[in-house]
Amino acid sequence: MANSLFEEKLSSNEFLVTTEIGPPKGADVSEMIHHIDLLKDKVDAINVTDHQSSVMRFPSLGGCLLVKECGGEPILQVTCRDRNRLAIQADLLLAYSRGIRNVLCLTGDSIDVGDHKEAKPVFDLDSVQLLKMVRQMESGKDMGGNELKGAPHFCLGSSVHPEADFIEPQLIKFEKKVAAGAQFFQTQGIFDLASLRRFMQYASQFPVKILAGIIVLASARMARYMNDSVPGIIVTQAIIDELANVEKGKGLQKGIEIAARLIKTIREENLCHGVHIMAVGNEKIVPDILEAAQLVSVHQ
Amino acid sequence: MDNYQVNRIKEASYGHSIIPPCQAACPLHMEIGEYVDLVAQGKVMEALQVIRDGNPFPSICAYVCTHPCEDACRRSQVDEPIAIRALKRFAVEFGGDRMIELEAVTTQSEKVAVVGSGPAGLACAYYLRKLGYPVTIFEAYSEPGGMLRVGIPQYRLPREVVDTEVQRLTHMGVEIKTNTRVVSLDLLFDMAYKAVFITVGAHQGLRMGIEGEDSPGVIDGATFLREVNLGLKPSLGDRVGVVGGGNVAIDAARAAVRLGAHKVSIIYRRSREEMPASPSEIEQALEEGIETMFLVTPIRVKRENGHLNVTCVKMELGEPDADGRRRPIPIKGSEFNTEFDTLITAIGQAPQLSEDFRLRIGRGSTIQVDPVTLTTNRAGVFAGGDAVTGPATVTQALASGRQAAFRIDDYLQHRYPLADTGEKKSSLGELSPKTIEMIKKIERLEPPFLPPEARVNEFTTVELIYDWQSAVNEARRCLRCGMGAEILFQDKCATCLTCLRVCPYHVPYIDDAGSIQIPAEQCQACGICVAECPAKAIVLRKPYDRRHIDEELEHALKSAAESKSKPLIIGFCCQYGLFGTGALASLWREGKAGIWIVPILCVAKLEEVHILRAFEMGAEGVFIAGCGEQCSRENTAFWVLQRVEKVRKVLAQIGLEPQRLQTFNLRIAEADAAEALDNFTEQIGGLYLNSIIKQEVRT
Amino acid sequence: MIVAEQKPVEEIRQVIAPYERVLLLGCGTCVTVCGAGGEHEVSFLHSALQVAQARSGDGIHSFLEYTVKRQCDFEFLDLLTDKVKEVDAILSLGCGIGVQVVAERFSDIPVLPGVNTSFMGMAKEWGVWDERCAACGDCRLADTAGICPITRCTKGILNGPCAGTKNGKCEANKDMDCAWILIYKRLERLQQLEKMRRYYPPRNFRVIPRPRRIVKKADVKVGKDNG
Repeated sequence: MANSLFEEKLSSNEFLVTTEIGPPKGADVSEMIHHIDLLKDKVDAINVTDHQSSVMRFPSLGGCLLVKECGGEPILQVTCRDRNRLAIQADLLLAYSRGIRNVLCLTGDSIDVGDHKEAKPVFDLDSVQLLKMVRQMESGKDMGGNELKGAPHFCLGSSVHPEADFIEPQLIKFEKKVAAGAQFFQTQGIFDLASLRRFMQYASQFPVKILAGIIVLASARMARYMNDSVPGIIVTQAIIDELANVEKGKGLQKGIEIAARLIKTIREENLCHGVHIMAVGNEKIVPDILEAAQLVSVHQ
Repeated sequence: MDNYQVNRIKEASYGHSIIPPCQAACPLHMEIGEYVDLVAQGKVMEALQVIRDGNPFPSICAYVCTHPCEDACRRSQVDEPIAIRALKRFAVEFGGDRMIELEAVTTQSEKVAVVGSGPAGLACAYYLRKLGYPVTIFEAYSEPGGMLRVGIPQYRLPREVVDTEVQRLTHMGVEIKTNTRVVSLDLLFDMAYKAVFITVGAHQGLRMGIEGEDSPGVIDGATFLREVNLGLKPSLGDRVGVVGGGNVAIDAARAAVRLGAHKVSIIYRRSREEMPASPSEIEQALEEGIETMFLVTPIRVKRENGHLNVTCVKMELGEPDADGRRRPIPIKGSEFNTEFDTLITAIGQAPQLSEDFRLRIGRGSTIQVDPVTLTTNRAGVFAGGDAVTGPATVTQALASGRQAAFRIDDYLQHRYPLADTGEKKSSLGELSPKTIEMIKKIERLEPPFLPPEARVNEFTTVELIYDWQSAVNEARRCLRCGMGAEILFQDKCATCLTCLRVCPYHVPYIDDAGSIQIPAEQCQACGICVAECPAKAIVLRKPYDRRHIDEELEHALKSAAESKSKPLIIGFCCQYGLFGTGALASLWREGKAGIWIVPILCVAKLEEVHILRAFEMGAEGVFIAGCGEQCSRENTAFWVLQRVEKVRKVLAQIGLEPQRLQTFNLRIAEADAAEALDNFTEQIGGLYLNSIIKQEVRT
Repeated sequence: MIVAEQKPVEEIRQVIAPYERVLLLGCGTCVTVCGAGGEHEVSFLHSALQVAQARSGDGIHSFLEYTVKRQCDFEFLDLLTDKVKEVDAILSLGCGIGVQVVAERFSDIPVLPGVNTSFMGMAKEWGVWDERCAACGDCRLADTAGICPITRCTKGILNGPCAGTKNGKCEANKDMDCAWILIYKRLERLQQLEKMRRYYPPRNFRVIPRPRRIVKKADVKVGKDNG
């Protein structure tokens, strides 16, 4: 039996669409709720990021509870940067008890890229160990080998980086994540479909679902900034040029167009099992992308 | 009299330095590295002092030394040897050797007679006099000097130079009796001389042993040069042939040119490569239009109609003989005739000794002596110079005279005669290729010469003197062999490998035992490892180099404190650069209000603590001036800037503006160094004013 | 080797402020090698403090310089006994160990740190030091081709690179190599990539309960031969 609606859809051969919401820096969650309402029915699941780019924010767990309250399907992002194994296990128990069933297991960005550079990086676990730990909890025992009174059960995902400039070690890690129990993967932002195609040729041998990461760019400047400063992101020169050639003020529109085009192609060519849209602070435009990619009506 | 002189010779005072090859090669074992270094610093007086310590007559050697030191110079592995002799001449002239007066006090009762006033005799008299003995020199000719006067032409050694040295000796109390030929040694002992030094030279020209050798118009080289040098002007006619390939032959040929002969030919039985004469002398002779006939030897001379008809035979070179030179063999049927007005034979010379001396004579009519004590077969009779060795160099003769003086002293004081301390050998081998590769190639600077046209008509000196800048630049080419760095405190060494990593010449290495070694053989004494060693375990072998900067800095700070001019600026300046010979040299010497210069032998030796010390003692600004492009090292600027940055960081923490420390002229010469410095001075003035105002506001 | 860095002069001036006579104590081992507290740096600091004192006009200090072979052994410190009597405080330029050993040896005098002890590492070239060991007490270098992911990966993760690596460099510092890319390349060269495919469980931090102690000597009871 499936743990969640999302897990059910994972096994359905549907083209999946997920997106993510960045929680606010502060206690005012009204905008986040607005975004949840806007998106909850248009996508299969909503991630809430866990101090993305190591910038301190409202927690993922809190955001996921809000999604749940609003009637959406949340994916809890859990990174290893800020909590040791005790804290993470505790958070997972809380999440499970409140109906959160999907967990994306990540290592987490380096402290150095964030806004609390002097903080202690924890990294008691890495993403593979985290996946294993959750599976062990599901077996009824915590990491110390002690009996749990009530074991949680989750649909587990993780991330993969098909556009990494040195791919082999990434693939090894991917396989380790699969072996550790990951059921689905959200990829890092994809800009070059050729690399996705190559990756899928390889990944299709594993019983996991791959959701291509789609980042919505608002300008050529943003694209260049991501290339320089965001871990792992590689925007192709063709896309930067495309963004650079539009009139001022029309960048975001172009970005939506590019994202929609990528999604459309992925879907039409059946490149992978779905997409994960990252609007990076522009959550409200996700419906526009879906519309442009002719995906809006799919789930209604 | 003090024994300083003697001590210096007997006991080399190098600190830890290793005898460099130049010094080992010098018959007098002069501290060449030391005085070349002093010339490089522009300290000519000090350089001259070092020269005088090791050489009784530096002015003479400055002209005529055959400089075996240059042949041994390791710089020739890089490019060309240091022009040591020319530098000595520079030091002698610019250091004011002429003005130096020597005194000596008689402290001994035993009189010593010196027979012959050539370089060996004069040197022996000089040292005996310094040791306090009454000395009399007996000279057969009308003027003292021996070969210095009658053998070497004036254009190579001006007569005034010999005169000056002789006068100095006389002033020291040496008695010189000219026109006095000693015929009996017994007589000398009868005259109460307790010891005799025979140094009569080798003035007798060897005969060729060919038909017609005694014809009028044929003269031997030694006699010819003697006549010329004593002021006679022998008439030679238009065409002169000179037989021989040694220095005497060249001297004779060049003298003949100066006496007006139109066509002078050197006839030598081997080829130019085998000529024993010094290459530069040969070169100069050719410049003066002297012709050469190589692989030719005269076999018959016939005087006809006032001319000499000389029959010669052509030669070819066969197998090498005992001395390694290829033996010339006459080619059968190659005889030819040639005409000369005068034929000068210069194929060798031998001593000419009175039989009444009753001295044992050996090969080539030379006196046989014990090489350690220079004693002859007669008690109290010593011999040296050409009379013992056959024709040799002036410097060898001086060394022989000095040795005789000490051995005579031993004899008179009833001491067991020991050999001169230490066979002077250099333990330094060849430079390694990787070291050579890193040494900047700098062309050897020759002193200027009179142009050939100007010199053929008279006997004025051919070689001129360096100007100040050329001398300094030539001297700084010295690789400072054996004066380099050493790990003096092995127990402090943490084997951190800093020296190995910072050495521009790849000199330090790790030995089999895992210790770090800095082979003296390769070290170029740049001092970078000394300044960088975190354990302070490395020093330069030369004690002077170790203390140099501290002493100069304290001196400058003391003078500054006395002068009280404000704001005080300390400038650490490469002595080779702007402040040594360059644009600001005059500024340094005159001194500019408030600016005190600390001269440094390469600013790469400057350490952070020196800069900090200047600030501690009240300097408002400090600058470091290098020597621009002429720096003989590749990475001086890098190291200076490393240290500057480190100090600036500390200055900033202390609340002093980092721009109070500036560098000039490090990699490239300033377009206008004086202006750059003025700007700096102005800036420091401003900062100083600000700090005073701030202080007043605070109080 | 332990790598340290001299503290800023201002910080040092603050900690020594209450003491008139201060012994600047260098150490001839690790901190000499890394240029933080050897004899050279002791005299550099001495000069810097003198300048600070002279220029600010508020100095009362007199300084003594001395460098021992190694501060982390009592026996070397015995040489200091007389000198310590002449000062009011010791500024140790030894590593954190040195400071504590000196403090333990001379219990009646304040001992202050003059350097920040940074890491265990190596000289990459002159003037550049890199960390190489975190003293985690559980060495895994056999599995990682001799390249330590705990020290050289900013996240210290054990199962392969994170997705932040770009051009073989770390997301935290573009000048630093990604340890896992290095490990991969070296394992590949050694034909041991299977070591990277293996799953490595979370680290056992129990091996480093602080403070740690290693006892090498056996617990031998005198008078009871052969047990």
